Formats: sequence, C-alpha cells, structure tokens
Amino acid sequence: MSDPSIEIRTRAMEFLKQQELSPDTQTRICLFLQGVKSINATILSRVEFQPMDWVPYKFLHSQCYKEVELTTLLGKSTTWSSNPLIFLAATQLNLSLWQETGAARYMGGMLKVDRNFYEYLALSHAFLSVIRILPLLSVQISLDTPFLSALKEIEEENGRQIQTQIRLLKDMAIELSLDEKENIIESQRQIVERLFLRLLDEITETRVAA
Amino acid sequence: MPVFRYKNSEIYYDLFGNEGDPALTLVNGLSMRTSHWAPYFKMLPQKGVRVLSYDMLGQGHSSKPILGVDFDDHAIMLKALHDHLGIEQPYVMGISFGGVVVLRYAIMFPDALKGLLPISTFSELDPVLTCHAANLYISMARVGFEFYLDLLMPLNFTNEWLSKNRDLLAIVKRVGSSGNEIYGIQNLMESLASFSTITPDLAKITVPTLILNGEYDALTPRHLHDIIRTNTPNSRMLVLPRMSHAFTLEIPELCARIFAEFIAQVGNGTWQGDQTVWIANEDANAPEIAYQCPGDHLRYVPQTSQEPTTQVKRTTWVRRSTRTAKSARKTVKAG
Repeated sequence: MSDPSIEIRTRAMEFLKQQELSPDTQTRICLFLQGVKSINATILSRVEFQPMDWVPYKFLHSQCYKEVELTTLLGKSTTWSSNPLIFLAATQLNLSLWQETGAARYMGGMLKVDRNFYEYLALSHAFLSVIRILPLLSVQISLDTPFLSALKEIEEENGRQIQTQIRLLKDMAIELSLDEKENIIESQRQIVERLFLRLLDEITETRVAA
Repeated sequence: MPVFRYKNSEIYYDLFGNEGDPALTLVNGLSMRTSHWAPYFKMLPQKGVRVLSYDMLGQGHSSKPILGVDFDDHAIMLKALHDHLGIEQPYVMGISFGGVVVLRYAIMFPDALKGLLPISTFSELDPVLTCHAANLYISMARVGFEFYLDLLMPLNFTNEWLSKNRDLLAIVKRVGSSGNEIYGIQNLMESLASFSTITPDLAKITVPTLILNGEYDALTPRHLHDIIRTNTPNSRMLVLPRMSHAFTLEIPELCARIFAEFIAQVGNGTWQGDQTVWIANEDANAPEIAYQCPGDHLRYVPQTSQEPTTQVKRTTWVRRSTRTAKSARKTVKAG
C-alpha cells in the first residue's frame, strides 16, 4: 500500500461521499467494469469449445455467463453521460487495460494447465478482488438505486466467483514453486491496482475539472 | 497507523500506553480489525497497561496473501512483531481464531510470554464446531460475505446486544463487508481445514493462563474451554455470565478490568494457577471481580443446590398421565 494509492483512494472516498454518482461517473465506472468483464468472458468462452473435466468446466462456464449477465445488468442500470469526452477517456483507459494486462496473451489456443493459464487465473483473481467501488462509499449511502444495487450485485457475485480462482491458484497441479506463484499473483494484482487507481484518479479529476 | 514489514507482507498495528508499563497484545478473531478494540485503547492505558493491537495477515489493513498461511505462521509473525517493537515478555490475549494463535504462540515460545489470555476459543474441533466452521465457509464462498456476517451475528452476540443495536446492524454489516476482503478471510478459515488438535501440546504452556468463556457461547462452548483448562497446568477459567461468543465487544469495561487485574496478579506474584473455575461479577465496578464457581461448571447454570429457586406447582407423572388417559377416554366416547 503505497502513499499515492492511499491518497487516491482517500480522494475518491471524499468525492464519492459528497453526492450521488453523476452520469459521468456512472459511465466511467460502467465502461471500465464492462471492459474487465468482457476480457474475462472472452477468455473463459473457450471452455465451451474444448474438452475439460466436468467440475472445472461447470465453474468456468458459470463464471463466463455470469460475467456476460452482469455486464448487461450494469449497462441497463447506468445513467449514461451525454459528454463524448467521457467516452473518449473511458476508451483510452480500456485500451490500457488490454495493453497492461496483456489480455490477448490468454485468448489463443486451448486452455491447459501451464504458466500462461496460472497467470490468467491470477489476473482474473485480481479483477474480482481489487476492483471494489462499494468500500469507497460511505456506509450511510443507500444502495437502493439501480446503479448502486447493480454494483452491489456485481461485487457480491465477484466474491462468489473468486472462489474458483482461489481454489485453482492454490491447488492446481502445476510445476511452479510457491515463490513463483506468489510473484505471479502479486504482479497481476499490481497491474490491476494501477488501472483501478487510474480510474479513480480520473473520475475525481473529471469532477474537479467539470 | 504504523506498519511492520514482515518478509513480503505488511502488518498494520496500533500501540497505546506508556513505555515501561506491562504490554498486552490483543489478537483478533476471524473477521475483526484493530478498530474493534478501540475502547481498550483508552481503558487499558488508564489501568497501567500498554496495549498493542494488529491486523493479522488476511485482515483489515494488513496484506492479504492468496496462498495459505497457517496458525504457526501467525504465531511466528506475532513474535516477530514483538521483537520489532522491542516488547519483551508481553501478555497476549486472543479471541476465537486469535485464541488458537496465542495458544500456539505460548506453545512455540514458552519463555517469551508473561501471561496468556485465551478467550472464546478451542484447542481442538468438536463435531458441532466443525459443522459451524463448514457452514460459515460455505455461506461465505457460495452465498456471499454478507450472509456469512448474518450467520455470525446470532453466534457472536446476545439478545440484549442485538436488541439494543438493531438499527445499527445494517451499518455493521456494510462496514464488515467493506472492510474485509473475502479471500483474506477465506484464507484464515482454511487454516481450520488443516487444523489438528493442539490439546496434547497445552502441557507445554507454563505461563499464567486465564481462560475466558461466555456463559452462552454457542460457537465455542464451555467444554472446549474446559479442555484447555484441564490440560494447561498454570491456568484458571473465568466464566462471563449471560455473555455470548464476542463478549469483549459487548462488555469492554468488565473485560478491561479482568485483563488489568490478571496482569497485576501475575506482576505482583499473587496469581494462582490452580485450574479452578470462577464466575465473573456482572458489575464491572463490583469490589470483587469474581467468585468461585459453586456447582457443575459444565452446565449452563451451575447449581448451588438441587432445589429450584423459583416457585413451581408440583405434580407427579402418574397423576398427570392418569388425567391425560381419562381425558383421552372421554374424547373417544364422545367421538
């Protein structure tokens, strides 16, 4: 937990507690989350086209379709911005999301038990665990709005879906030492943390600029 | 909040009180954070006790490793934290999950402690506790973290506390789910999956040990504490009347006094580790903090005599069954 991280989170918490989420903010959050979930769903969709043991298939299949379902739910609940610059900024961040996570590396070929798959699992774990908006909101704020209740639904579901990644990260029969595993997990976490902090930073700055 | 860097992890802690005073470390339960001990940060220093609280790996502000950490790792980390802070011969108190950590600490580092306070805890898993642990794990992993907290509420608190704080429960849940990372707590819970009894090792604990148990603790009931008492030579057990599992949150005044008096007794050499069982006075300001348990301490209600203390209308099984039989015959005839 470096100082800039704490500073950005503190600023975001201050910003988010002051008023309802504006269409600009909702749009930025929605597009980022949709970008993350699209990456996950695209990678996981390969489980439909390859032979796999039943138990991992069941979990990965469920996760894939949950990601698609939640993307739609969030889109339907968002009050969309009419400011084209918001969409431009969101697109730039989503381009970085693809570049910095190297998501394309996990999309080719068959899913198999190797380092590449382990790295994807660690990335997916980071997506589900690092990107959390609700802890930044004041606990006094009611979640009874379409956007916030959708966010709550997503973060609860992330908590459930993360179990698949944790089990595989811990128990998968792979020739990686504990240190190697921990390094992979930590480096993927840092990538996602940087991207999430950039989102928070930009949301806050957007508001200040407006 | 200061941070202690241990290997690749960060451990957050709070330290209050005067250097030179005896130090008591408070070790969290499963889904607790340092902030849960806030009342003690004032009360204990006022009683001449320095107080250290920290988030274990997986909790609150500390790092949350995704791969496993077991009870021994937590005990070793706590020892490293004490060494880092230059705290020699501390007292350690641990509740529930933290209770197991401090028992392991005392077993692994028998000369490093001055006193031990295991609270609402266990040295082995009985079938009921195993079921509770499995239910909590499944609720968290399959239903969601908020449901896990829902399940914990009636296990942790008394009717009185829940009634008094009814309006706050939704907020308590929001704070709990915002402040915890599900995988951090999951990691802690998985320590239980590989947990094997430490009861045979309790004999290695030589320091004064005061075991605290809530009268109505349904999660870790009396008999689990009694196993610790009977296997730990220099111990006593103190039962907190009408309290549930998380009584340190409900009655901090009384608990702070108990902690401070235990530390004072050990410090001035009046501690008696005679494996007796005591009952705490419910009034935190009562002249005597406890009285010795007069009856069967494994019952919810230790009895002083076999006579009931409330007026009852006495009858017998025979007469009652005769009446029931007559009434049944009448019903049959009427039919």
